[in-house]
Amino acid sequence: MAQKSTVRTVVVSGALGAVSIVLVLFNIGFIPWFAGASITFMHVPAIIAGVLEGPAAGAVVGAIFGITSLVKAATMPQGPIDVFFTNPLISVLPRMLVGIVAWAVFRLFRGRLLAASSASAGVAGSLTNAILVLGLLVLFKAIPPAVAGTVFVSNSLIEAAAGGILSLAVVTAWKGIENRSGRARLADEDK
Amino acid sequence: MRGLEFFRNVSIGQYMDTGSALHRFTPSTKYIWLLALAAPATVAAHLEAVLLPWLATLALGLAAGIRPGFLLRGMKPAVPLLGIVAVFQFIFGWPGDRSALLFALGPLSLTAREGSAILMAVARTLSLMTIISLFTSLTTEGEIAHGIEDFFSPLARLGFPAHALALSVATAFRFIPIIAGELESIVKAQAARGADFGSGRGGPLKRTRAYLPLFVPVTIRALERAEALAEAMEARCYAGADGRSRYVVYEKRSGEIVVRLVAVLFCAATFALDVLI
Repeated sequence: MAQKSTVRTVVVSGALGAVSIVLVLFNIGFIPWFAGASITFMHVPAIIAGVLEGPAAGAVVGAIFGITSLVKAATMPQGPIDVFFTNPLISVLPRMLVGIVAWAVFRLFRGRLLAASSASAGVAGSLTNAILVLGLLVLFKAIPPAVAGTVFVSNSLIEAAAGGILSLAVVTAWKGIENRSGRARLADEDK
Repeated sequence: MRGLEFFRNVSIGQYMDTGSALHRFTPSTKYIWLLALAAPATVAAHLEAVLLPWLATLALGLAAGIRPGFLLRGMKPAVPLLGIVAVFQFIFGWPGDRSALLFALGPLSLTAREGSAILMAVARTLSLMTIISLFTSLTTEGEIAHGIEDFFSPLARLGFPAHALALSVATAFRFIPIIAGELESIVKAQAARGADFGSGRGGPLKRTRAYLPLFVPVTIRALERAEALAEAMEARCYAGADGRSRYVVYEKRSGEIVVRLVAVLFCAATFALDVLI
């Protein structure tokens, strides 16, 4: 495995940040679910950054994701919740913590059980996102607690499972590639 | 499935080059004003302190040659959304709400507390939307990325990785068209094999699994490209901020320090107003 470097961490954060910007801009990563509420996996790049490159990368990708959703909510709002995502405390701060929590949970496994650890990091990161966003929405008197509770039960638990599935798939696929060749495969393209 | 064509030229925000004096300020100054206006609009508890930054933003917009209508056009789609939020407040009550009753319809009621929550939500949205709109109209993507380094440069002396952060953001901007292109070809390839994203039937987890053949290759390709870029940068002896020169250097104009001080004073005055009311 190639030696870890800060340049790599910085560039990987940028690339995963770009993935989350694209997901937000093209509105991919929304799975329509009942009652108009959707399940989202747009925060998964932040979880992957936290798992692969550590808490700083997770926080940076989370911040890029949060700021993109903030700008999008302010310039082209699409759902009722977007109205509150113009508030940086709701749209940016919780997302920065997503990657950090994912990293912390991944670290608890100390590098063993890659599949289980990446899936639990995905679940924990998604739950962080859901709990903090809904909690802050209630705190800012945006939605009454009863609505937040309903959304948590109907959406967030499924969202957590979805986050777990996607993190598991990406992390195991990437670690598999990394172990096989020890470096980027892009170099093979010219052959 | 909606459109397969993703725009190759993606832009965030809405830069408006009117060439005004406000456009020519350094990105750091724009960031300072952004924070000075957005902080009270975000956390102030009173209506006046939330609306004052809004009025200031509209005035700054006029000074920059940007019409208030342009800054407020995000509000139009937001109006029905705010309506839904208001209905939510109307239908669901707050536990322990003993404020005066304003309006009642059968079991549903609107109390003073719910009314003020709706009013504050509208004011905050209006204010923040206009502020962000003005910032993105005045600042290019390049300025946003480089501005981060300048803005955090005082903290860099204390060890804050301002340069690395700016590089991350610049990389993200550079990667957007590449990722969008990758996404487009992967979506087309999977659609040719009969994949159906989003509109498929089945439970939400089944539908999430339907996204795996899209999400996993896009992310893996992004990671591969990042890896290749990191190797290329290391091969060229990239070593972070130390001794590195910049292609674009933002020159501070005379009087810019005053403009920054005014921003800080405005922010302090707004918060003082919020506390004193």
